[in-house]
Amino acid sequence: MIIIENLRKTYRMGDVEVNALDGITLNIAKGEFLGIMGASGSGKTTLLHMLGLLDEPTSGRITIDDVDVGRLNDYEKTQFRLYKLGYVFQDYALVPDLTVMENVSLPAMLRVDRTEEQTHAGSFEVLQKIGLCDRRDHLPRELSGGQQQRVSIARAMVNKPDILFADEPCANLDSENSRLVLDLFKEINEEFHQTIVMVSHEDWHKDYFHRIIRLKDGKIIRDGTNGSSAH
Amino acid sequence: MGKKELKVAFLLALRSLQRGSRSSVILTILIIGMCFTNMIFLPSMFNGIGQSITKQVVDYEVGNVLVSPKSGDQYVADSGATLDLINGMPGVERATPHFTKGATLKYRQRVLGVSVRAISPSDEKLISPLYTKMVAGSYLGEADTGEVIIGRPVAGDASVRQEDEFQASLGGVRVGDSITIDYGNGYVKDYRVKGIYYTGWSQADSAVYVTSTDMALVDPKALDNADYITVKAKPGYSETFIKNELLAYGVGGNGKVQTTADLLSKSMGRALQSFAIINMVSLVVSIIITTVVLFIVITIKTISSRKQIGILKAIGVDKEVIMHNYGFQVIILGILGIILGIILTLVLAAYMAYHPIVTPEWSATLYITPMDLLVNSVILFIAAIVAGYVPAYQISREDIQTAMRT
Repeated sequence: MIIIENLRKTYRMGDVEVNALDGITLNIAKGEFLGIMGASGSGKTTLLHMLGLLDEPTSGRITIDDVDVGRLNDYEKTQFRLYKLGYVFQDYALVPDLTVMENVSLPAMLRVDRTEEQTHAGSFEVLQKIGLCDRRDHLPRELSGGQQQRVSIARAMVNKPDILFADEPCANLDSENSRLVLDLFKEINEEFHQTIVMVSHEDWHKDYFHRIIRLKDGKIIRDGTNGSSAH
Repeated sequence: MGKKELKVAFLLALRSLQRGSRSSVILTILIIGMCFTNMIFLPSMFNGIGQSITKQVVDYEVGNVLVSPKSGDQYVADSGATLDLINGMPGVERATPHFTKGATLKYRQRVLGVSVRAISPSDEKLISPLYTKMVAGSYLGEADTGEVIIGRPVAGDASVRQEDEFQASLGGVRVGDSITIDYGNGYVKDYRVKGIYYTGWSQADSAVYVTSTDMALVDPKALDNADYITVKAKPGYSETFIKNELLAYGVGGNGKVQTTADLLSKSMGRALQSFAIINMVSLVVSIIITTVVLFIVITIKTISSRKQIGILKAIGVDKEVIMHNYGFQVIILGILGIILGIILTLVLAAYMAYHPIVTPEWSATLYITPMDLLVNSVILFIAAIVAGYVPAYQISREDIQTAMRT
């Protein structure tokens, strides 16, 4: 369960203050597939970064599974990200010098509660799930964009995080690959009941979300389930 | 920082070097290797010169320990008895007296001032390898009279005109030729040249050797007097041990007892100080170059990977892992560079062993000890780690947003 209370983020650009998030209050239930939509500059990515502990709010509070993440120190945040959260970035963000297998294994290798065998088996399993087992010894540059994004999802999945954040994961993909990626998210959500928070600006993506919030100028202007809307 | 984190940091470092820019890796290793070679080359060369001079002084001048006349004396007092005493001491291979007179050599139209050294040829063989350095003819026999051996520079070369000579000579004396020695005390004698030698040590090569028996004809004092006594130590006995033993037996009462090291520290002290300064400058320059190069390499690597560093932090990789990733890269580059440097240095040493630097005064090769290699490796390694960890530390502290926005 994610509880967001009166979240604000203000950037200062010279003498001008920009409210990227302007008092966001929101609850995200466990197992929910939430889509954050809105125009460019509406605050979607900023909100995602706040929730993912990649940035700090100017004010407000985020509680994830009863942990007030604002109170965590730098090391605790790193550990929280490692054990509880997973990320999928718009530009895949794979380590270019590591193979597919090494990229996927990387977060699992850092977990103290996993043996080497468990790490390997887990990575293998998740690669099988995304259908790239046969490409495990390839480098990212030897894969297509869609394949790279699937590897990125596998990397986010390998630690079986409670919450998966995806920042416009289909922005660089054609519609066929986008659908493959979204189907994968849907499957993960349904099979493992993981909470997924995904930023998107493509209207047709909303069919995959349980719930959609729309942002404008850092505020939620619409919050509703797929097919309905409420505020 | 646990074992798993270190393992991940090492994996990231290894893969970055394996699959990153190969030319950058090779260039960096080459620079470190060259810096290592530069660090060790000059000191080794100076050490080689020092060793070469020491060896030649021991071999052709003073042995391991020298007994010279006390201040105000012309000869070592009671030379014969002193010599017998020294030769009976444990640790002494052999002691032999030297009696030297200044003289003028004449050959055809050439005249040359030299030192004539009187030796006991059989004893001298136990002290000096001079007898192995004959380039023509043969060494002196114990009972030889009227025969000399001369250095190659003294004999000269008949094909070189006198005005073109680097060093004055007799203009091409050959074995069997007759030369005249004028001792300046009214004694003039013709000698047959029995042999010509070349040691590479200028003071020995510019001398002429006769037997003590022969010198006694010139100056009867030569029989029981010595300008100095050279003492050769048996293997395993140090110069200091022999010196102390000589002093303990009272030899110090008849002459001044000094080791080769004592003599060289006086005569070469200033030169050694200059060598030490040059070595230090060379060492500091090499360390600075290595440090700057590695600093630049790692800084460029970190700057060009800022976004990736942000991503790694975002997926839960701790900043310590990221820092050690670059640290390990520097360690690997440093180790490979040092190994290359050691190989280059040993190749140079092997080359110079066959092609030493030869001057009219001395010849030198590289003198490298395992300790030299170890100390320089450690110094360079520490410099490399400092150079790599500083930018790695800085970049690993950057917040995720700043790094990812790059």
